[in-house]
Amino acid sequence: MIQTAQDLKDYKKKLKHALKNKFLRQAMATFATAYPEGRARAFAGLDFEALRGEIARGKDETLPHLEELYAAFKEKAEAAGAMVYLAKTAREANEIIAGIAKDGGAQRIVKSKSMTAEETFLNDHLEEEGLEVVETDLGEWIIQLRREGPSHMVMPAIHLSRQEVAELFTQVTGEPQDPEDIGKLVKVARQELRRAFLEADMGISGANFAIADTGTLGIMTNEGNGRLVTTLPRIHVALVGLDKLVPDLKSALKILQVLPKNATGQVITSYVTWITGPTECKAAPSGFKDLHIVFLDNGRLALSRDPVFGEVLRCIRCGACANVCPVYSLVGGHNYGHVYIGAIGLILTYFYHGRKNDRAIVQNCLNCLACKAVCPAGINLPLLIKRVHGAILAEEGERPLKNRLLRRVLANRRLFHFLLRRASLAQKPLVQGKFIRHLPFFFGEEHEFRKLPAIVRTPLRDRWTEVMGKVDNPRLKVALFGGCLVDFVYPEQGEALARVLKAKQVHMDFPLEQSCCGLPAKCMGEMEVAKELALQNLKALDPTEYDHILVLCASCGSHIKGTYPLLLAQEPGVGVRVQQLAAKLMDFSSFMTEVLKVKPEEFLGGKGKAAYHAPCHLCRGLKVTQPPRQLLDVAGYEYVQAKNEEVCCGMGGTFSTDFPELSAELLKSKLDNVAATGAEILVTDCPGCVLQLRGGMEQRQDKIQVKHMAEAVAETWKEGKKEK
Amino acid sequence: MDAPDLLQLLREKAEAVQVVVQEIPDLDAACRYTVDLTRSQGGATLAAPGWDPASLPVLQDLCGKAGIELLTENLRAQATRLHTGLTLADWGLAETGTLVLESSSEDRRLATMLTETHVAVLPVSRLQPEVGALEEELNRLMQSPPRYLAFITGASRTADIERVLTLGVHGPLELHLLLLKD
Repeated sequence: MIQTAQDLKDYKKKLKHALKNKFLRQAMATFATAYPEGRARAFAGLDFEALRGEIARGKDETLPHLEELYAAFKEKAEAAGAMVYLAKTAREANEIIAGIAKDGGAQRIVKSKSMTAEETFLNDHLEEEGLEVVETDLGEWIIQLRREGPSHMVMPAIHLSRQEVAELFTQVTGEPQDPEDIGKLVKVARQELRRAFLEADMGISGANFAIADTGTLGIMTNEGNGRLVTTLPRIHVALVGLDKLVPDLKSALKILQVLPKNATGQVITSYVTWITGPTECKAAPSGFKDLHIVFLDNGRLALSRDPVFGEVLRCIRCGACANVCPVYSLVGGHNYGHVYIGAIGLILTYFYHGRKNDRAIVQNCLNCLACKAVCPAGINLPLLIKRVHGAILAEEGERPLKNRLLRRVLANRRLFHFLLRRASLAQKPLVQGKFIRHLPFFFGEEHEFRKLPAIVRTPLRDRWTEVMGKVDNPRLKVALFGGCLVDFVYPEQGEALARVLKAKQVHMDFPLEQSCCGLPAKCMGEMEVAKELALQNLKALDPTEYDHILVLCASCGSHIKGTYPLLLAQEPGVGVRVQQLAAKLMDFSSFMTEVLKVKPEEFLGGKGKAAYHAPCHLCRGLKVTQPPRQLLDVAGYEYVQAKNEEVCCGMGGTFSTDFPELSAELLKSKLDNVAATGAEILVTDCPGCVLQLRGGMEQRQDKIQVKHMAEAVAETWKEGKKEK
Repeated sequence: MDAPDLLQLLREKAEAVQVVVQEIPDLDAACRYTVDLTRSQGGATLAAPGWDPASLPVLQDLCGKAGIELLTENLRAQATRLHTGLTLADWGLAETGTLVLESSSEDRRLATMLTETHVAVLPVSRLQPEVGALEEELNRLMQSPPRYLAFITGASRTADIERVLTLGVHGPLELHLLLLKD
């Protein structure tokens, strides 16, 4: 049965164990590479952004009217001869279904895949009631026989090897099964389950759609078991989440167009079945099926009215948020969800299966935005994960020490900066060159996968006047939002930017009241602190004073542009200024290529091979993909593409200190992929990624230099050289 | 897109999901194809519920000669011994390589679900570019229940064991699409 870690200590034990599972690692890694390719092929020629916009809009229009849609569906379906029920809770749904079985004299039940039935633990209930239930989806049957939960919403047995399946089927059939003959293993299921289909009195299915307009159920399957479950037994029960209600066929077809492509890279599933009313069934005394449709609320109606979390009900259950998650691809679904898996699982678990099951897993998010980028319903999964985390912290009362510290320190800029300055002095005995030689004792050895940089003696803000100097007759006036890392750890990145901008006659301010952007607070679930910092920074950076607001840190930039408007949307007036700030915010590469339009002749050129790491918050957060590659080329580097360039480096802000073992694995893949290109230098546009990548290179004593784009560009800038 | 392009698209998309696609001049050719196929696969039965009455005698004759039992009704009673299913598809959708079958009749459903091989005949005139073009028609059918509509795209498939694509889990192992020029 499903046993989800209830606390971080237990969870970390499970994660360690999973990291050692060689088959799982291999299977997940292969899938993580194959999935994006298959998906891209399936969407070829289609506009994914437009499609997801339509799905999100459709769902948003529908969700406030679920009760009306339910009433309309019920009317149509009952007029057609079906029975329709609304279960308020999971238990109620299970009881209704067990009751239908008893009233209908059904003993043997076949079931096709239904996440909603997984949600209610329907099988356990029916078995307790003395009924026999057989799962007929191959993957579901396998995990049912193993008494496990699914490890993926679409591929429930993806965590198992052919050897494990062969062993299981050997037990089931009493005959030895060859693990190398997958075709034959599938035949075992065909034979064994065919018997179950023919003998069953009742079939239970889920549904992908419940069309209110006609009272129709829509079911997508590949194996064909859904068709048999809804055809052979004399009773059919469909268990459907209220969120599957759609107003009409058109809405269903829109989702159908996207779901299989996003789930498995299939253009369409092998079968799509549309059932309206009880159809012919010669096993039934009346000659027609006994059709029961049970809708499950279990908190959905309340969720649909929630101004923040309501959008989770847009989910169409494609499972893609797991497919692209770097953490999922390391540890598999049994360690990345409870019943529902992946990013959506980290959120839904809280609502459907409770705080205890979510409190550990919800923390395991890199905030890399991969799930958000692939979600076909446009759900802001990473933000909602953090919001759930925040809700759990608030409910549990006693916050972890790091949260208590953050709440005291971060919102108070003077105190925060004072402590950073003190830390630069305190670390002195530990510093060697630019790195901390030995980590303080409270870091365990699992943190030694990278070298941490030292905090500089004098932050950038203290030297700004000297660094920037004066620009006569500036053509543009910009402000730099430095971010803590550039300010206190890597001021050379800000200096590099200043050098280029001076040469291009751009005036740049460093408003001193700016503080931490607030992303670390958001990542630790401390939304009030994040909001407070957003307000402070908005006050420090008046967007109307500048032509552009520049960031060297993609994470700060993406947080300001993407999350500030959401945090401050309700504040009168402030919302407007946030939008103005967001509109003027720009990353370094975009500013250089699109505003300054730098040309190859302004650079020395002749630089060597450079690999590029696309920061999550640049390529997905700010949606900047071409400018950095273009800038490398213009600046005279030979850009070489590394594998999985847009996959997270494992930094994830506080993630890398919370889950060092996972962070180390992601970093290792990243550095291996970069090393394979033969590059001499690795360029990226985020000081957070620089910290992770440079620390990793230093730890493995690799010669590849890690540079921020601003440094890489300034180094080959002609005028910069002249000045020296 | 004009008709020949649509036909080409359907063929490509269907073949991409392992459908065997053939063009045939008339329904009698479909009967010959299906009987030959059944014989070559060693099948003993051929289920063709609701088959076109004009062509049925030909099918009966061919089955008789080949020693294949022709089943046209009450397939549930024969559920364990169905080899080939022969059906006439109602529509085809080029964009996805999909067949649409109005399947409210139980026999029609079983012929496409419980058989080892499914042969579907699609009159080319019934080909649509994509599902949106059928929306009204499908809506009309759904408005008059009971109704069981099936979209079929390729044979039954799974990738549940190590993501290895395997055909024929619970439904037909093979799908043959015969394009009837009408």
